[in-house]
Amino acid sequence: MVRLKNINELKELRKVLEKETFKPDTMRAKVCCGTACTATGAYKVIDTFKSEAGKRDVSLEIVKTGCQGLCQKGPVLKIEPADIFYQRTKPENVQWIMGYTILGGVPYRQGLYRDNFLSEPVPLMTEVPFYKKQLRIALRNNGRIDPCNINHYLAVGGYKALEKALSSMTPDDVLNEVDKANLRGRGGAGFPAGRKWKHSKGAPGKIKFVIANGDEGDPGAFMDRSIMEGDPHSLLEGMALCAYAIGAQYGFIYVRHEYPLAVKNLGLAIKQAEELGLIGENILGTDFKFTVDIREGAGAFVCGESTALVASIEGERGFPRVRPPRLSEPGGGPWGFPSNLNNIETYACVPVIVEKGSGYFLAIGTKNSPGTKVFALTGKVKNTGLVEVPMGITLREIIYEIGGGILGDKKFKAVQTGGPSGGCIPEKYLDLSVDFDSLISVGSMMGSGGMVVMDEETCMVDVAKFFLSFTQSESCGKCPPCRIGTSQMLDILKRITSGQGQEGDIERLEDLGKKIVAGALCGLGNSAPNPVLTTIKYFREEYEEHIRDKYCRAKVCSGLGVYTIEHSECFLCGLCKEACAFGAVKELRNKFFIDQDYCTKCKACYTACPIGAVKVGKKERYSVQR
Amino acid sequence: MVTLTIDGKTIEVEEGTTILEAALKNGIRIPNLCYDRRLKPYGACRLCVVEVEGQPRLFASCSSPVTAGMAVKTDTPKLRKARQTVLELMLVHHPLDCPLCDKAGECDLQDFAYDYGKPEARFIRHRKKAPPDVRGPLVELTANRCILCGKCVRLCDEHQGRGALGFIGRGFPTVVQPAFGEILECDYCGQCIDACPTGALLSKPYKFKARPWFLEEKDTICPFCGCGCTLTLGIRDGEILRSRGVEGIGQSKGNLCGRGRFGFDYIYSKNRLKTPLIRITPRNSSKLGVKSLELKDKFQSQDSSLNPHPSSFFREASWTEALNYISENLRSISEQHGPSSIGAIGPHRCTNEDNHMLQKFMKNIIGSNNIDSSAAFGYAVVEKAWETAFGQKRHSINLTSPLDKEAILIVESDLTVTHPVFGLNILQAQREGSKIIVADSRETKLTRHSSQQLGIKPGTGIALLNGIMKIIMDQGLFNKETISGIAGFSALQTLLNDYTPEKVCRITGLTEAELTAASETYARAKSRMISLTISASENTKGMDTVLAAANLILLLGDDPGSLQIPAEYSNSFGAYHLLNGSNGLNNSSTGKDIFEMLYNPDSIRALYIMGEDPALNFPDTSSIINKLTSLDFLVVQDIALTETAKLAHVVLPASSWAEKDGTFTNAEGLIQQLQKVIDAAEQPLPDWRILKDLALSMGKDTGIRNIEDITKAITSSFILHPSSFNSQPCFSPINYSPAEKSDTYPMALILRDILQHSGSMSSRSKSLDLVASEAILEINEEDAKKLGIADNSHVKVSSSRTSVYLKARVSDEIPEGAVFVSLHFPHAKINTLTSHSNGMPSITMVKIEAVK
Repeated sequence: MVRLKNINELKELRKVLEKETFKPDTMRAKVCCGTACTATGAYKVIDTFKSEAGKRDVSLEIVKTGCQGLCQKGPVLKIEPADIFYQRTKPENVQWIMGYTILGGVPYRQGLYRDNFLSEPVPLMTEVPFYKKQLRIALRNNGRIDPCNINHYLAVGGYKALEKALSSMTPDDVLNEVDKANLRGRGGAGFPAGRKWKHSKGAPGKIKFVIANGDEGDPGAFMDRSIMEGDPHSLLEGMALCAYAIGAQYGFIYVRHEYPLAVKNLGLAIKQAEELGLIGENILGTDFKFTVDIREGAGAFVCGESTALVASIEGERGFPRVRPPRLSEPGGGPWGFPSNLNNIETYACVPVIVEKGSGYFLAIGTKNSPGTKVFALTGKVKNTGLVEVPMGITLREIIYEIGGGILGDKKFKAVQTGGPSGGCIPEKYLDLSVDFDSLISVGSMMGSGGMVVMDEETCMVDVAKFFLSFTQSESCGKCPPCRIGTSQMLDILKRITSGQGQEGDIERLEDLGKKIVAGALCGLGNSAPNPVLTTIKYFREEYEEHIRDKYCRAKVCSGLGVYTIEHSECFLCGLCKEACAFGAVKELRNKFFIDQDYCTKCKACYTACPIGAVKVGKKERYSVQR
Repeated sequence: MVTLTIDGKTIEVEEGTTILEAALKNGIRIPNLCYDRRLKPYGACRLCVVEVEGQPRLFASCSSPVTAGMAVKTDTPKLRKARQTVLELMLVHHPLDCPLCDKAGECDLQDFAYDYGKPEARFIRHRKKAPPDVRGPLVELTANRCILCGKCVRLCDEHQGRGALGFIGRGFPTVVQPAFGEILECDYCGQCIDACPTGALLSKPYKFKARPWFLEEKDTICPFCGCGCTLTLGIRDGEILRSRGVEGIGQSKGNLCGRGRFGFDYIYSKNRLKTPLIRITPRNSSKLGVKSLELKDKFQSQDSSLNPHPSSFFREASWTEALNYISENLRSISEQHGPSSIGAIGPHRCTNEDNHMLQKFMKNIIGSNNIDSSAAFGYAVVEKAWETAFGQKRHSINLTSPLDKEAILIVESDLTVTHPVFGLNILQAQREGSKIIVADSRETKLTRHSSQQLGIKPGTGIALLNGIMKIIMDQGLFNKETISGIAGFSALQTLLNDYTPEKVCRITGLTEAELTAASETYARAKSRMISLTISASENTKGMDTVLAAANLILLLGDDPGSLQIPAEYSNSFGAYHLLNGSNGLNNSSTGKDIFEMLYNPDSIRALYIMGEDPALNFPDTSSIINKLTSLDFLVVQDIALTETAKLAHVVLPASSWAEKDGTFTNAEGLIQQLQKVIDAAEQPLPDWRILKDLALSMGKDTGIRNIEDITKAITSSFILHPSSFNSQPCFSPINYSPAEKSDTYPMALILRDILQHSGSMSSRSKSLDLVASEAILEINEEDAKKLGIADNSHVKVSSSRTSVYLKARVSDEIPEGAVFVSLHFPHAKINTLTSHSNGMPSITMVKIEAVK
């Protein structure tokens, strides 16, 4: 690649690339090579495509794209220019796709998306319900381009914003545009990025850093990873624009070590952009200088907290530090230099704002939360994966329309947003519009955008225990409220879910939780009790049932309830007797029953019974039976 | 200035102060466990939370800066509840083993739990499963008691520059441990013990000795180096059990090194003298014609191998007998050979009062001016050079001087070892942004914290200084205004013409880029300082090095105070000023100096040595021992039976530093009061008392009745006026002369102090001996490989004089071609290898052989 000496050279290069890349008259398979689809065999599909194309002597361009979102149904791929979407593609299906679509130009029905077995397949990607409601800004190029090829990014309009900024905007213009767009931090807290940038710009000192927080640690959330893997240049462009706006010269991308593909693709992207002169010294022939470096984290959740992240960049132990000084102030950033830290998704939104203007961005979403947000939709929902939706969409739309409803058409119970630090939202708020402020008003938060859907078979106490055990094990150990407080809360929850709950435990949890929120040093501790506090708020009766009745209505917690065999349903297969390790299931005159003196409530018989004749009941039921 | 109110009290503090500091300064107590004024705010313990009016959240006062008009409340029901919860949580895992914890009674956690605690516990108890780590020699680590305030970790890393402790693990199981959970190997300063708010870090020597509330605490001055830190000694039943630093007290503001904290127990060493001893030999009686002493049946037999007179013995004697015996002998020598055949040597460890008394005794009672102190090998050299270069008397030292300097140049010294508290200030300056340029041949703590390390060859400091001056001269960075008024500039120019960067780099082994960078950094800095140490226990520097450094100071037109060479021991400064044969005499003739007395076989016939051990501490001990054994009469007055005392005719037991009143003058010239904290066991007397009694037994009255008389006499004479001697500053061009090389003796033997010891006195401390108990020869890995020396094996070290056997440690901190050893330990006899050089640097060349 030849280094671009000025902005016109970039324009000319793009003109050439626009013509040559993604030509409408060539056949193209855009195969998702995100981590999930790779795991389900995307590369095998690609190999088969190649060998099939060789066999039939067809010219087929294969583009290995980043995550296309519908991870549940991977490997997914798109055939262009017809824009036909295939899901769950197996290597043996490739020959049919080849025959039908690429040679014949008609869809191959068996590979298309269907809502269920009976419904009509949907050939076009834009018609798939999962994609229909989405509006992609941060993920705009995910699934469209090959992340390892900067030409693809340039061809779809990449670095246009940087080109615009360097040719016609002053740093203040860029900053004002971002400020006007009211872009709120996508990392969770929703602090306006424009204000943050202004702080950093106003800080004294010549050396400043731009830091991208890619330490995505929430279980189940992977939007940042998708951007870093699938569209690394949009992150680089966003960071360069930020650096231009605030007057920074150096950038760090802090990535989890567990994201090897992201690290690889980012490294490649930095190299390519440097070769083209889009980052580095004298960018596009101007005085603007910006170099980017990748820092790999060692897998501590707390390093996503800004001050701990700074400590980690410095090579210190990932302990949060006291604020003030904030990162944007002298003494706050790495080695004391003022810095601006934003989430990956935030930076990915910046080029769009700068290129299309703040008006475009403000028109999307709600007044206080403009733009879109990426959610990682998981849990008991039919379509799981990454969805990017405009702010203000309701939870119901996300879960039932995009997500396709609850798995097995069971009853919805709650949705957990904001990752392990977020809260659980019950059914009554299903029509809540999703934006930063409304989620906080119901005790949850936007967080990085994890969205875990729970059905009636989910025990809320167990959910609280799960999330708390995560934050507890990720507590860094610096301040006592978080270090000891969360472990105490977890102990109480363990007690409750194993049937040892005591009167007063709920109050103890609430009191301790509030003290931790008020007293902990960093955001991790401040939000760690949230799952417990919100589940107590909305599902207090479940806690009370666990403690008083020793009963788990979702039948998740072992050690609770009374196990009985419903004789009217039992067809005497004897599997329950075989399953019981304690000899509690007794056989008597063609009848199985459970000896309560021997039963340890291990749930073995419950899971063994093929027809669900083993019942778990409250204590009262047992006494009535006697 | 910012005005705010705390608990209704209006307070004015500087901008940038934290709420906690503002409160503490104004006597308002906010509970805290992780705050330390020496460290950066940490904000971990969450006890110091306060309420600020109009703000819903709680503020951690240790890390929140004050703002104007802020109204802070430090004690409200809400805060009490928050603190209560934090303490309740801490006590969930902190074991309640206070009955057998040494900290109980002065434990912060205990105190706060008492203040805020509530009787019922809501939570399940949890302990860490970490057994106490008792493997280290002086510090015991009990992770179960640790509340992870991180003070020890930060103090060790940020403040001491050592970083021996760290956090291991994450979340609840986090523990404070040395790296990889190995045995704690550190500086053994014990600062972590003082800082620990619980009993997680404890002093091992003090363990289970006494409950703190039974201890009587008395402040006195540390007997080791010249920093003059204040020790707070804990005494029970007349025995010193521990020593600690109290925050903000004394010259060191509560910082102590390992010597001050653990080394005080040298006064309880086995070979402390209890009664006067008189040697009985045939020679005694025949030569001096003294009436033959009746041999009692009670002999004190000495180790015959160490005894130069195998046929003689020491006999215990009473004070009267011993003093009469001395006075008789001294009188007869004085009568036969005149008073000037008697000399005296004073120490840098005794009080000003003792030294004054010795001076007075020699001059008034004996009538001899032959008096000098051991400071002649160290501090006197500095003073002499100072006078020559700057034309002023009294070297002005300020231990806090590094703090405001932009560049600090350190020449072949490790001040963190010799003057630990001064070293701490250098480290602090480095943290605050000073550039520290360390020229040293070996790796030290200072080189590790330096901004630029110049790995020069040993003993080439003068060449380096000349090279720096040459570059400054060539680049015109010197001060053109002041230079004209200083004599000798042209001579310096001529000399420097010879020190081209190429030549200097050839001598020192640096690259030209390194040399130029260092010179420019130093010369271009707005404020500068050069620091080094001069002492008898080091042999790479001397008067010439000081003069070369002074030339650099003059060349840049800096204040003489930019040259900081602190006096080496607790009272070197006082000893130099009080015991100087040519200073403040009532008799105009100049007496013989220490070199004359110790190395010239015919100089004197009798010697009175007070508190010094020339047979061990000074170079070329074989000549000294020859001289001492050939004396007609040798009196040694010391606290223990030293190498010199073993040669004496009479040994007098003296009180140790803790057993007497008096004053020490620290390196800064500050006279500090010493307190008698315990009574001496058995018969030892303060040195001044012995001399007063001796004068009486010689039939003369010194006019001194008690210690106050001496203190008065000193204060009237001792206050020195810097203006009393004032001549013009001048350059003294110094040429670098390399150590003679020979094929037989290829290695340079470099003497360096080690951190755990100070002189030979501390080698009697049991605690310090646990860490370093023998002289170890450090040798480079490559050299060791060549010579077939394994780590921890024995080697034979030979100079042209003699050879000694030492244990070797193979180290990568040592440059090739040199070996390092310390002088502290009597058994090593290192000084038998060295030669005496009259205050000039003198590296002894040696040969090392592996012992098979």
